[in-house]
Amino acid sequence: MLTVFELALRSMRQNVKHYYLYFFALIFSMSLYFVFTSLQHDQDVQNMTHPSVDFSAGFQIAGVMLIVIVGIFTVSANGIFLRRRSREIGLYQLIGLSKGWVARYLMIENILLGLGALLAAIICGALISRLFVLVLLNLLDLEGIVGISFSVLAAFKTVMVYLLIIVITSIQMMLKVYRSTLLDLFQADKRPDLTKPPKAVASAIFALLGLALIGYGYELSGHINKQLFVNALLMLGSIVAGTYLLFRVTIRWCFYLFRKRKDGHLGLTNSLSMAPLMHHTKANANSLTLITLLSVLTITMISMAYSFYYSVEQETRHDFPDDFMFENEQQEALSFQNELEKEGIDVKHHVVEAVLTKGVILDPNDESHKFEEGLLWLPAEQLKQTDADLDMPPDGEAILYNAGASLSGDLDERYPTEIELEQNGQTVMYTLRTVMERNIMNLNAPGSQLLVSEATMDKIAVQMAGTPGYKKIRFDTFQVPDKEELATASSLYAKSVSDERLYYFYAQYKEVLQTTGLLIFIAAFLGLVFLISTGSILYFKQMTEAEQEKQSFKTLRQLGFDVNMIMKGIIRKQAIVFLLPLTIGMLHSIFAIKAASFMIRSDTTFPASIAMVIYTVIYFVFALFTIGYYRNIVKNAIS
Amino acid sequence: MNVGETVLQARNVHKTFGTKGSAQHVLKGIDLRVTRNEFVGVMGPSGSGKTTLLNVLATIDHTTDGTVLIDEADISKLGNTALSAFRRNKLGFIFQDYNLLDTLTVKENILLPISLSKISKRKAESEFTAIADVLDIKALSNKYPHEISGGQKQRTAAGRALIHQPSIVFADEPTGALDSKSASSLLDVMEKVNQQRGVTVVMVTHDPVASSYCSRVVFLRDGKIYSELYRGDKTRHAFFNEIMDVQAVLGGDHVDGF
Repeated sequence: MLTVFELALRSMRQNVKHYYLYFFALIFSMSLYFVFTSLQHDQDVQNMTHPSVDFSAGFQIAGVMLIVIVGIFTVSANGIFLRRRSREIGLYQLIGLSKGWVARYLMIENILLGLGALLAAIICGALISRLFVLVLLNLLDLEGIVGISFSVLAAFKTVMVYLLIIVITSIQMMLKVYRSTLLDLFQADKRPDLTKPPKAVASAIFALLGLALIGYGYELSGHINKQLFVNALLMLGSIVAGTYLLFRVTIRWCFYLFRKRKDGHLGLTNSLSMAPLMHHTKANANSLTLITLLSVLTITMISMAYSFYYSVEQETRHDFPDDFMFENEQQEALSFQNELEKEGIDVKHHVVEAVLTKGVILDPNDESHKFEEGLLWLPAEQLKQTDADLDMPPDGEAILYNAGASLSGDLDERYPTEIELEQNGQTVMYTLRTVMERNIMNLNAPGSQLLVSEATMDKIAVQMAGTPGYKKIRFDTFQVPDKEELATASSLYAKSVSDERLYYFYAQYKEVLQTTGLLIFIAAFLGLVFLISTGSILYFKQMTEAEQEKQSFKTLRQLGFDVNMIMKGIIRKQAIVFLLPLTIGMLHSIFAIKAASFMIRSDTTFPASIAMVIYTVIYFVFALFTIGYYRNIVKNAIS
Repeated sequence: MNVGETVLQARNVHKTFGTKGSAQHVLKGIDLRVTRNEFVGVMGPSGSGKTTLLNVLATIDHTTDGTVLIDEADISKLGNTALSAFRRNKLGFIFQDYNLLDTLTVKENILLPISLSKISKRKAESEFTAIADVLDIKALSNKYPHEISGGQKQRTAAGRALIHQPSIVFADEPTGALDSKSASSLLDVMEKVNQQRGVTVVMVTHDPVASSYCSRVVFLRDGKIYSELYRGDKTRHAFFNEIMDVQAVLGGDHVDGF
C-alpha cells in the first residue's frame, strides 16, 4: 500500500514536464526577491551612491511588487494545473479516497515542489547577487568592486514569501477539492461556459460600453496632470473595466456574429481557433484581461524607466546649460580658471552681464493672477557669443527660458503674454513672446530667465535702476567640452567653492544618473519577471488546452486531416491568444506613457519604442514555445 | 455506381502485436471482399480480432502482412499526405464514443469533413440538409454535443461520416453506448442510408440485433473468418435467429431475444 507521500512523489515525477516552466519562473522570481532584499539591506553599495538616492526604499518597493506578481502568477498557474487535473482529483474520490486525503495529497506535492524552488532560489540568488551588483554599478556609472555577503535576513524573508505562496495555493486546492462535485470534476473540460447566444441588445450595449470605457480612459490620458490623483484613478478604472468587457463581451460578440454568418460552414482553421476560444470565454476573458493589464504595467514601467535613464544628460543640460557658473564673483572665477589651466584642462570662459528686477508675468487665462517675482533680463547678443543656441528676440520683446515650464502647469494659450514692470508708480509693459522649455543660465541663477536684445535690457536697466530688487549681475560661465576633464574640473570646483554653490552640472548629472540607473535596474528585472509570468500563464493555459484537445486531433486525423492542416488552425488560435493581449496592451501602454510623460521633459518615443520591441520579441518566444508544444501533441496524437 | 463492384478487398491479412518473444498473432490471414452497397457486419467473441480487423481495413492501423485495397488503391502504399486525402475523400467513421468536437455545434461538426474541399457553400448546405433530414437531426443544428442525447450524438457522428459521400463507412460498435431504443433508431437510419443512398458500410458489433440489420454478417474466431451469413430475402427476425445460432456455436457474447 502506497502512502500519500509516495504517491505525491510519483505524481510529481510524472508531472515534471508540465512543471518545469512553472519551476523555472518560480525560481527566477524568488531569486530576484532574494537579491533585491539582500541589496536593500546591503551597506557597501549604498555607501558608494549619492546620499540623496534612496537605495533601500527602491528595493523595498520592488520587493513588494515582486511578492504581488509571484502571488498572481502562482494562483493563476495553480488554477490552471488544478483544472487540468480535475479528472484525476475526481478519480481518487471515485475509488473511495476521502476529500481530505486528496487535498493532503495535492498539498504535499505542492509543498515539496515549492521547497525545491525555494532552495534553488536562495542558492541561485546568493550566486548571482554579485553579478547583479556589477550590473547595477555599471548602470550607476560607479567604479569599484563590491563583494556582497550572504544575507540571512534576505533568506529569512524569502522563506516567508514561500510560506505565503504555500498558504494561498493550499487554500486554493482545498476550495477546489471541497467545493467541486464529482460531476464538475469529470466534465470540467467538456462543458462550454457560455453556449447560449449572447442576448443581442445587452451584448451590444456592453460591447460598446467596453469600447467607450477604453476610449474615455484614452481621452483622459491627454490631460491627466490636471487633478492628477482623481484622473489617474478614473483612467485606471475605466481601462481595467473596459478591457475586461472587451474580452468578455466585445470580442465574443464579434466571434459570435462571425460564426453565425458562417452558418455552420466554419472550416477547419476556424474550428480549431475560434470555436475553442469561444468554448471557454469566461476563463479566457479573465486570463487575457490579467495578461493584458500586466503587459501594460510592464511596458509602461520599463518605457518610463528607460526614458528617464535615457534622457538624464539632456534633461540635466536643460537645467544646467553651463558646466560652472559664478555670479558676481569675478575673483573666484578667475582663480578657478587659473587652477583649471594649471591642470591643463581646456576650458571656455564667457561673461554675461544681466539685470535683475521685480515684475509680474501676466497670465491671460487667469486675470487675477498677479504674482510679483524676480525677473532676470539677459542680453541675447552676449549669450550668442557663448555658442548658445537661441533666437534673437526683436526690440521690446522677451522670450522666457524655463526648463520646468511644462512641470509647472498647462502651457496652452499661456503665451504670448505681457510683463508688467512698475517704476515710481508708473507701469511699463513688455511683450513676452513665448517660452522655451530649457534654461539659458544655470538653474541656480536668480529670477525667471528672460532673453531680450541688449538694447532692451539697457533700457530696462535705466528705467528700473533704484527700484527695490534691482541688481546688476555679472555671470562668469565655464564650459569644459571633454568628458573626463569635466570630471576632474568638477572635483576641483567642489573643493574650491562654499557649500551653497554645490549646484552644478556634473553633480546634478551624477545624482540623477544614479537615481534613474537604480530605477532602470529595478524596472528591467521586475519587467522580466512580469514578462516571464504572463508568458508562462499563457503557455500553461495553451498546454492544458492542447492536452484536452488530443482526442479532437485523433478524430480529425480519422476524418482525413493531416498535421499541417491542423497546425494552421492552431497557429491561428495562438496568434489570437498571444496577439490580442499584446496589441491591446501596447495600445494601452502608449496612452499610459502619454499620460505619464508629463513627468519627463524629453521625448519618450525612442526609449519607449525600444522597450516595446524588446518586450514583443521575448513575448513571441513564448508563442513559439507554445506552438512547438502543440505540434508535438498533434504529432503524437495522430501517429 | 455499379452494384457488385468491389469496394474493399482484403487479401491474406495478418496482424501481430508485440515483439518476437511475446508476439500475439491477432489476425491470421483474413480474406474479405466487400462490394458496392453492401452492409457488412463483423461479429465474433471478445478477443477474436474484430476491432483489429476494422482498424486495419480502415487505415487506422497497419497490417503485418497481406494487402488491403479500397477502390483498387493499396492503402499500405499510401504516404501520409495521400492517406489524409484518401480518408478525407473515401472513408467515413462512426465510433462507439462518438468523437464529436465539443467546441463545435452539430452542424459545424457535420460540415467539418468537407471544409477543405472546394465545394460551394450552396452545395454543402444542400448536402447537409439532405443528410440531416435522413438522420432527423435538422432541429439540432445549432446545439452543442453536451446538449443532446447519446443517440442524437451518434446520428450526428453518422452525418459527419456521410457528408462527403465516402466510398465506404466504417462503424466500430456504433450502438455500444446507446440504449436499445436509440440503438434501433440509429440502425434504422443506417439501413435507410445504405439502401437509399447506396452507401457501403462495414460495422463491427457484438450485438446480434445490430447485425440483423446487415446484408451480410462475417463471423471471426481466433483471427480467422469462421463463417458468413447472407440475409438475402429473409426477414430481420429470421436473420437474427440465424445469427444467434452461429453465435451459440461460436461461444462468447449472448444477448437475449429482441
